[in-house]
This record gives sequence, C-alpha cells and structure tokens, in this order.
Amino acid sequence: MSFFREVQLDDSFGPFVALKERYGFIPNLIRAQTLAPRLIEAYEKFESIALVKENALSRIQKESIVLIVAAAFQDAYTVAARAAILRSLGLSEIKIDQLLGDFRGAGLSASDIALLDFCFKLGMNGTSIDSKDIEGLRSIGYDDGSILEAVLACALTRFFSALSAGLGPDPDFEPQKVSVPVVVQKIFSPASHLHGKQGPYIRTTYQSPRTFAPFANFLKGHGFIPNLYRAQTLRPDIVEDESASIGKILMGGKALTRAQTESIFVVASSTILNTYCVAAHCNILRRYGLSPEEADQIAFDHRQSNLPEHDKIMLDFTVKLASRPFEVCLADIQKLRDSGFTDEQVLDCVALTACSNFLNIIRLGLGVEPDFELPPGFEQNKVHLPGTEARLTKDDAVIPISAAAAGDSDAGLVADAQAGNLDAFEELIRRHNSMLYRTLMAILGNPEEAQDAMQDALLSAFKHVAGFQGRSKFSTWLVSIARNTALQRLRTRKNMESLDEPAGDEEEFRPRQLRAWQDDPEQAHSKEEIRQIVERGIMGLPAKYRIAVMLRDIEQLPTEEVARQLGLSVPALKARVLRGRLMLRELLSPHFAARAGGARI
Amino acid sequence: MITCDEFLAEFGDYLENRVPSEIRQELELHISQCRACHVLYDSALKTIRIVTDSGSFDLPQEVSEPIVDQVMARLRRERAQKP
Repeated sequence: MSFFREVQLDDSFGPFVALKERYGFIPNLIRAQTLAPRLIEAYEKFESIALVKENALSRIQKESIVLIVAAAFQDAYTVAARAAILRSLGLSEIKIDQLLGDFRGAGLSASDIALLDFCFKLGMNGTSIDSKDIEGLRSIGYDDGSILEAVLACALTRFFSALSAGLGPDPDFEPQKVSVPVVVQKIFSPASHLHGKQGPYIRTTYQSPRTFAPFANFLKGHGFIPNLYRAQTLRPDIVEDESASIGKILMGGKALTRAQTESIFVVASSTILNTYCVAAHCNILRRYGLSPEEADQIAFDHRQSNLPEHDKIMLDFTVKLASRPFEVCLADIQKLRDSGFTDEQVLDCVALTACSNFLNIIRLGLGVEPDFELPPGFEQNKVHLPGTEARLTKDDAVIPISAAAAGDSDAGLVADAQAGNLDAFEELIRRHNSMLYRTLMAILGNPEEAQDAMQDALLSAFKHVAGFQGRSKFSTWLVSIARNTALQRLRTRKNMESLDEPAGDEEEFRPRQLRAWQDDPEQAHSKEEIRQIVERGIMGLPAKYRIAVMLRDIEQLPTEEVARQLGLSVPALKARVLRGRLMLRELLSPHFAARAGGARI
Repeated sequence: MITCDEFLAEFGDYLENRVPSEIRQELELHISQCRACHVLYDSALKTIRIVTDSGSFDLPQEVSEPIVDQVMARLRRERAQKP
C-alpha cells in the first residue's frame, strides 16, 4: 500500500472521521501515516483550511489548482486523487482531461485561466512572482482573500507532492493521463531580479499577541512573531489552523530530537532554496546547543558539519526527497532502516520536508519578508544547489567553506596572517582593537583589567589565527576570542555574573521612571559629562545586558552580528538589548528628564 | 486602540524601526493618545541616541597603541628566536 506499514487507529480518531466523511474512504496517503497520528491531524487541518472551507474561491477552483500544479510535478498519486474529487463535484472526464492537457484551452473563463496561470507560475517558478502578479489578479476582480486562498491551495499541492514521493502510497484511483510539460528545473532558477513592491502583497490586519493565541504562542515559544503568519492575518482562522498544523509537525513528535528535527527542516529548506525558513531555523538551531557557525554549516552542506554520521544519512535522504522527489524509492527507506532509523523517524522527516515545501510557496506567493538575515555567505557556500549533481556520493566532495568571508573586507589580510605575515596580523588587530577593548570592558567592567586582558586576547588570536576557517567574519572570531579571554578571567572571580542564561529568561520589565525627558537632553551637559554618565550607567547594568548594549549601541553592530558573537538566537538577543536599553533609560533618566510633569503607565 | 501591554509587546522592534506597516499604524495611534507610552518611547529613543553618540569606552590611542606595540614586539622577538 505504501513504504510504511499501516496500524489500526481508533475509528473515533477525529481526523479519520473527518476524512472519511470527506471522501467516503481513507486515502492511502493517510494510511501511510498511521504510525504518526499527529501527522494525520496536521494533514487533515491543512486540507480543511486550504481546500475544503468554502470562502472566496469555490472548491472546484481550488481543486483545479491542485490538479494542474500536481500534474506539472508529475505527482501521479495526487493527480488521480484530485481528479476523482473533481468528478464527484460534477466535472466531466473530458473537462478533467482538458485541464490536464492544456487548461488554457479547456473552455474556462478568462479569470479562471488567469488564476491557474498564476498558480502554475507560483508552483513551478515561485521566485519569479512579484507584486505585479498580484496586481494583475486584482485588476481582473480577485480580492485579497481569493489570492490568499489560491496561494494556500498551491502550497498544499507542494505539501501533497513531497508526501506522496516520500511515502510511496499506491494510487487510490486509476492514474490519469497527464501531458502537461514538465519544467521542474525551472523552480530552481535563481531568484529573479524583481522590480515589484515589497511584500506582503496582500492586505494584513493587526492581531494582538495578547489576545490572539497563535501570536501569543510564538512570542512565548520563539520570542518573535514570524512574518509568514503576519502576512496571512487577513484570515486569522487560517493563521490559527495553519500554525497549529505546522506546530504539530515541527514540534509535536518524539521520534526525533529537537536538534534532529530542526536540522532536517533546515536542510530541506536549504535544498529547495526556501531562504525564509533557512534564516529562521538556523536561528532556532542555536537554541539547541549549536554555535551559529555550526547551524549555518548545516544549511550550507551538512556533510561538512560536525553532526554525527548517523544524522547525516537522514539528511542525505532529505536532500534527495527535496531536490529529486521522483527518484525516491523503497530502497531509500530501507537504507534508513538499515542505518537504525525507525519508520516513525522517517515519516517525520518526510513530513518536515513537505512542510518546508508548503511554507516556501506561501512566502513566495505572498512576498513575505524574512524575519532574519540569511547565514552570511549562503549564496556562495551553498553546496547542494539544485541542479548540482549529487555530490553526496563523491569522495572529492569536500569543498572548503572559505570566508563567510566572501564579503569580509579582512579576508586578504587574514590569508596573509595565516601564512605567517606579522605585518598583516598587526594591521588586523589595529583595525579591531577598539571593538576588542569594548568587549573586554563589557564583560570585565574594569579598564585596567580590560587592558590587561587585551594583551592575552591578542596573543591568543595570533596563536589560533592559522586555525581560523572563515566560517564567520574575522571580526566576529576576534571578538569571540576576547569574550573567552574575559570569561576565563571572570571565572576566577567570586560571584561570577552569568552571561549565559538560556533564552526566554527575560522577565517582564516595568518602567518606573516616567517623567518626560528634555527636548534636547544633551544640551544641559558637556560631552565629557555625558560620556561619564553613560559609562557609569552601562557599568551599572548586569553583565549579560551590559554586553548586549555595548555591542549593539556603543559598537553599533547589527543585531544579527551581535547575536552571532554571543551565540544567541536573534529573538533572544533582541530581548536582552531591549531590556538593557530600558534599564539604562532608568539609570539615565535622573540626568535627562525634564523638571516637571509625569505620566503613569 | 491597542492597550499599553500590546504596545510594550512590540516596543523593541518599534524602537529599531522593524515593525510591519499595519502594526506601525497601531503603535503610532497608541502613542499619540497615551502619554505614558509616548514618554517611554521618546526617552528610550533619546537613550539610544545619547549612548551611541557618547564616545563611551573609546580606548584612547595613547593606551591602545602601546598594547598593540608590546604584543607585536613580543611576537617579532619570538619569531626571531625561532631557529
């Protein structure tokens, strides 16, 4: 029936009841997932929000989208299943054949053809979608709700197709004849140079994280609300169900560890160039004990990462399923079993890959802006670029990951320093000694000790420069040396302040000083006075806030860079910076507040 | 209008000018009508500006140069002593 054995689930299992009601039987694609019932729950909910709920588009319109996009992907299972549903909705066999042959000549209305054209383009070459495509749909009468539903139907198709490739279900119906030209390679064409407006392309509404449960959960669990969901707030019901389903797939399983789950998701996303999810989940990986460089390395090329060989085998399979789904066969599943993976683990891997496909279409179709920056050098260092023949099996696959460093202005001097050139090393440390000193000051809180530690840090940098692999910028690496040097010194002190409490430890901060500040607060003080006030204030902060504020506001490094240097996820770093700034504001307030007036919060 | 708590939930990104437009509108409406949040926002922005412009913790050249000089002299000495 499929690659995976079926187990009996209770007849009263909710999603089964709903699916039976929907189809009159349980499709093989569902039976293939009975080992992991939560995946069936997620599946049922996805299908319900994207296809079944009648809203702006009719069921026939949505099923037609799935039919033509699945056909273009040679997904025979989904084509046969959706053709059967279209028949049950009253479409004739001839009409279905026409849709599969050439939908533009199938006697549809001009607006239906335009909608299918959009979905075909989104499904096959999503990176070429821009705001003009959306404006085109609006100009022929589609409202934003219809466009969102079309994007969802298209996304669901990609979800179905990855599932059917990875689960290998026998067809439920006679296969349909499909003659849509296959242009799969096209989806991998590099992001085209878009000239449209920035996304999100459709209208959004404000949803309060205090009252809208999905947003409250995101804030609590991850420290931020993903733009991907903000872009769909036109339909809060969709956000609710979609995030619940994705949560079930990504976080509901126990077969894989959280780090394995996130690694699979990063690799699947990286393989299909789902840059949105790569950026977000490389960040999330940092929460599971991986350094930023190690998390990025998994996205570039997991084979060169420090993950255990066992995990790499699963990730090899992920790359294949994501990039060459038609080639996946029972032997691939068997290989995973032989390597010690359980069927539940493999099922989760397939669902995670399908999930990344789903989210990729949503972000492309709605023009979702990334929440975080991509790992530096992703474009240059990405090894498994689709179209590149599988390097996995080749012995000569070792590609040095030089310079995240592609954009690092220190790269030339670093190479010279690594070759033993002392003048080059001297130039490098003169460039960065201020930053080094501030990092040491931030941690040690004492100028004499910071200066002392600076000598140690510079000598340590020289000792280790030959081993610097260019996985981060040189300045990042140098600061990490300074940080370690300072921490070593701190450890010898009593009552060491902690810099490394886990993320999510920022309890709510209530401002106390609420007197308005002077219009031009700097005017009442000399430059030197201000410098002293600020230095005293910063030194009065607990160490973990002090270093965050120092690097962000004194050093003025970008958020992503500071997060990297401190080995934190971006949301965790942002929480620290905000908290540090607000505490500092309290400390500075007596110096800069206006004489009278106040307010309550 | 959003509440003060909702305002504070978005505050960090608002200070960094990193909120989507539909939220920005809500936040701007809120501070135009809530004096306490307006004060908080205004003073937090000024805090960042003052800290950024303060030149704090600049290591005076007369201090930094000798440190680098010492380290480099030591490295060159060690290099010269190597066979």
